[in-house]
Amino acid sequence: MVGFIIRRLLWTIPVLLLVILMTFLMMRHIQGNPFRHSERAVSPEIQANLDRKFNLDKPWYVQYALYVKGVATFDLGPSLVLRNQSVNDIVRAHFPISLQLGFLAMVFAVVLGIPLGVIAALRPNSAFDYAAMLFANLGFAVPSFLIATLLIYFFALKWGDIFGLPTSGWDTWQSKILPVIALGLGPMAYFARLVRGTMLETLQQDYVRTAKAKGLRWRRVLMVHVLKNSLTPAVTAAGPLLGFLITGSFIIEYIFAIPGIGKYYITAVSARDYSVVMGLTVLLAVIVVLANMVVDILYGVLDPRTREART
Amino acid sequence: MVVSPQQQRMRSPDPAHSGDIQVAGAGTPIAQSSLWRDARRRYMRNKGAVVAGTIFIALVAFCIFVPIVSPYDPDQVNFADAYLPPSLAHPFGTDQFGRDLLTRVALGGRISIAIGFAATLAILVIGLTYGSISGFVGGWVDNAMMRFLDALYGLPYLPFAIITLAIVGTVNFWTMVIALSIASWFTSARIVRGQIITLKENDYVRAATAVGARWYRVLARHLVPNTLGVLIIAIFLELPGVILGEAFLSFIGLGINPPSASWGSMAQEGREVYRTHTNVILIPSIAIATLVLCANFIADGLRDALDPRTKET
Repeated sequence: MVGFIIRRLLWTIPVLLLVILMTFLMMRHIQGNPFRHSERAVSPEIQANLDRKFNLDKPWYVQYALYVKGVATFDLGPSLVLRNQSVNDIVRAHFPISLQLGFLAMVFAVVLGIPLGVIAALRPNSAFDYAAMLFANLGFAVPSFLIATLLIYFFALKWGDIFGLPTSGWDTWQSKILPVIALGLGPMAYFARLVRGTMLETLQQDYVRTAKAKGLRWRRVLMVHVLKNSLTPAVTAAGPLLGFLITGSFIIEYIFAIPGIGKYYITAVSARDYSVVMGLTVLLAVIVVLANMVVDILYGVLDPRTREART
Repeated sequence: MVVSPQQQRMRSPDPAHSGDIQVAGAGTPIAQSSLWRDARRRYMRNKGAVVAGTIFIALVAFCIFVPIVSPYDPDQVNFADAYLPPSLAHPFGTDQFGRDLLTRVALGGRISIAIGFAATLAILVIGLTYGSISGFVGGWVDNAMMRFLDALYGLPYLPFAIITLAIVGTVNFWTMVIALSIASWFTSARIVRGQIITLKENDYVRAATAVGARWYRVLARHLVPNTLGVLIIAIFLELPGVILGEAFLSFIGLGINPPSASWGSMAQEGREVYRTHTNVILIPSIAIATLVLCANFIADGLRDALDPRTKET
């Protein structure tokens, strides 16, 4: 077990280097050196100084090595547009908000989605099952910007007197309700579908029949044999789902005017603040890679058969 | 995207398929046609998939034919007619420039669906190439290529799509296709590789190798054609994600330039006036949702039809 965890941790290092390299190489291809596009022409000496300051005079692999060193020491470099701010400042200011939004949406999705899938699987082909699955399918198909807009339209404007929810912002707890629901509905539908599927599969297993046959109470069979084995896929799904939450939060933060990292990302792209774009991309990628690692380790703990295959 | 690898991996024998072994007279070429006939029969048995397929075809036909027969010029600005409510003359109403929304949504659908299919094809071509090389060559090459995929797996595609659009500078049909496919092909590469590895163990492939067929002949003649079923399923598995991705990009203002519009950019225009004229955002969004929902059901039906071993529960 310890060997497995150590192998998995070590394997993360080349993965991180590769992901940073990919982002780095992509960013290098965005039209050249940002300082050469500034409106005032700078003298060659100043240009040389700027290049030296930002290490642009060095070959790309040295720049890459310096950037990796920066990432390893949690220093993502300065912003190119906001001269007095570093990318770290921006991350510190905006990331906690996105993190909170993503976490709350995940909690919403897990707390509602898993019971929905479990109940649907226990009564397959019942009215509840059909309703739940219709809901799950819709939750995945309807674009989140429509869900968000409809939520605002009904709960903040049309019935605003009853619910009194604000249309945007992230200051009060009331303002967090609609964004969290809008972001969480998709993952919730995903969990419901996934859990229902694996649960139906588990219910067919011989060990469940054995447990029933030896006279175990149904409640106990469910808790000990069925649920435990049905929920492991949901754990694995949590890793890729994080990517989904990040992707979704771009739109949700944009619509609800939440000052999170997703909204700032869009601003930074249009302002051509490439060091910020790169820093944020690397940050998001690192989070996903680390989440995948945690999920793999968790999965190895829950299901020892996967340890060898997933090093 | 919609179906997790876990669901892909869940395999159970198809009770419907066992037992209907067909006996044919010697020399009748049955193999090819009966495979597709079986598949069609299995697909038709899935009511949801049939309905979804019908709606899907109807939606595509709507997008193709409505602009041809429509009496309205989709780009003609007429402020006197701005934001008309739905009526007989304009069944979906008009937008802020007085343009007929029925015509516009059909044209937007052409762009969205075309980008969707083009990006899906790009994803499948990359996935097929990568996956078949990895699965066919095997050994350390396979190992290295799969490790590379593991590294990229789960990365959010939206930031990479945005960077790609920033690199190419302009947003048009093809750059959009590139942006959407550049970080989305990992799943399809995995599916193809798994399929190739399974196929490689089949007797007819061994037989082909044993009688001295060259590796490229085995690959082109036996392996790649047999991944066709999986690839057709994959089209409809990837399509929803790509369509939604394009809509997201357009919605945050990184879409195709006006006056052309995809469903996503139409929704963005509607977003500004959703309080007073809800139909402007509702109509393109419902179109996206319908297409995505249909694609999901079609993928389910196709999986039962073409790949009976992997049956979704």
